[in-house]
Amino acid sequence: MMPRRRLLRVACIAAAGIACGLVWNSLSGRGFILGQSVFVQAGDEVVSAVEAKAWLDDGALFLDARPRDFWRMHRLHGALSLPEDDFDNGFSEVEARIRQASRIVVYCQGYGCEASHLVARTLRERGFPAVVLDEGLPAWEDAGFTLDTESRP
Amino acid sequence: MSNAAASALRSPRLHLVLRVLLGLYFVHASLAKIADPPAFARIVYQWQVLGPIPSNLAAVTLPWVELVAGLLLIVGLWKRDAAVVVAIMLAAFLVAAGLVMARGIDVVNCGCTAVAAATTPGAWPPSWTQGVGWYLVVRNLLMLGAALVLGFMAVEGTTEGSGLES
Repeated sequence: MMPRRRLLRVACIAAAGIACGLVWNSLSGRGFILGQSVFVQAGDEVVSAVEAKAWLDDGALFLDARPRDFWRMHRLHGALSLPEDDFDNGFSEVEARIRQASRIVVYCQGYGCEASHLVARTLRERGFPAVVLDEGLPAWEDAGFTLDTESRP
Repeated sequence: MSNAAASALRSPRLHLVLRVLLGLYFVHASLAKIADPPAFARIVYQWQVLGPIPSNLAAVTLPWVELVAGLLLIVGLWKRDAAVVVAIMLAAFLVAAGLVMARGIDVVNCGCTAVAAATTPGAWPPSWTQGVGWYLVVRNLLMLGAALVLGFMAVEGTTEGSGLES
């Protein structure tokens, strides 16, 4: 084991760095809100899996923002594909359904995936009521809900 | 370990070179991340190791720990303790990189020293030096070795212990 004095210094160095980081984040003007996903921006709306399930049962439209091949393998029940990496083509395919929808929930692979936020933001800019499924597919499965795993062409 | 090898690892010159190089690397590594915390947080998210809120905390604090430890290594103050901090961070990064690689997650910019988008194909530095992969593992293992030498091998001619005694 290291002597106590060295452990104390190691802890001091780590604590000094952590304190500087937290102060810098709150005071420098370059920081961001630590209590929510960094992908969430002003105006974005996020719903939990449980809330989204209730919306789904109520007829909400679900959109899968992942690349099309992932949607082909598995998706939320009834979800249509609107890939962030091919938005314009995808949009023209599903536009009629989007225009009919009173509620739209966009999701992607998980908290590390920004595609759902980008797609929902673009839809909102075009006047559609799109929100993001918080933490995406893993959160949906963690909440005990199933996926549609029948492969699609 | 043979006496000659142990003696070489205690050389004051070797310690000076390793300390300054490691310190410069860590200071360099911290600056772009400190300048743009949300951009670095986006990269930490891509590793998918910690979850969103712990990733936020790591993104705002880790670069500053890198900066403080790097500066201490360069100026030579609390240098062995700073080397231990660097060793702990490198070990943590190696574990995280192992998880990313084992799960097959494609992280094109590891966020090690830069937060900008990955370079285009054919550009310099090449993309295999940017992502999470074997290059990162080997580089971190070499730096971890240097940090352990600095942290736990006393310089020849000093009365400092190895740091391993209780």
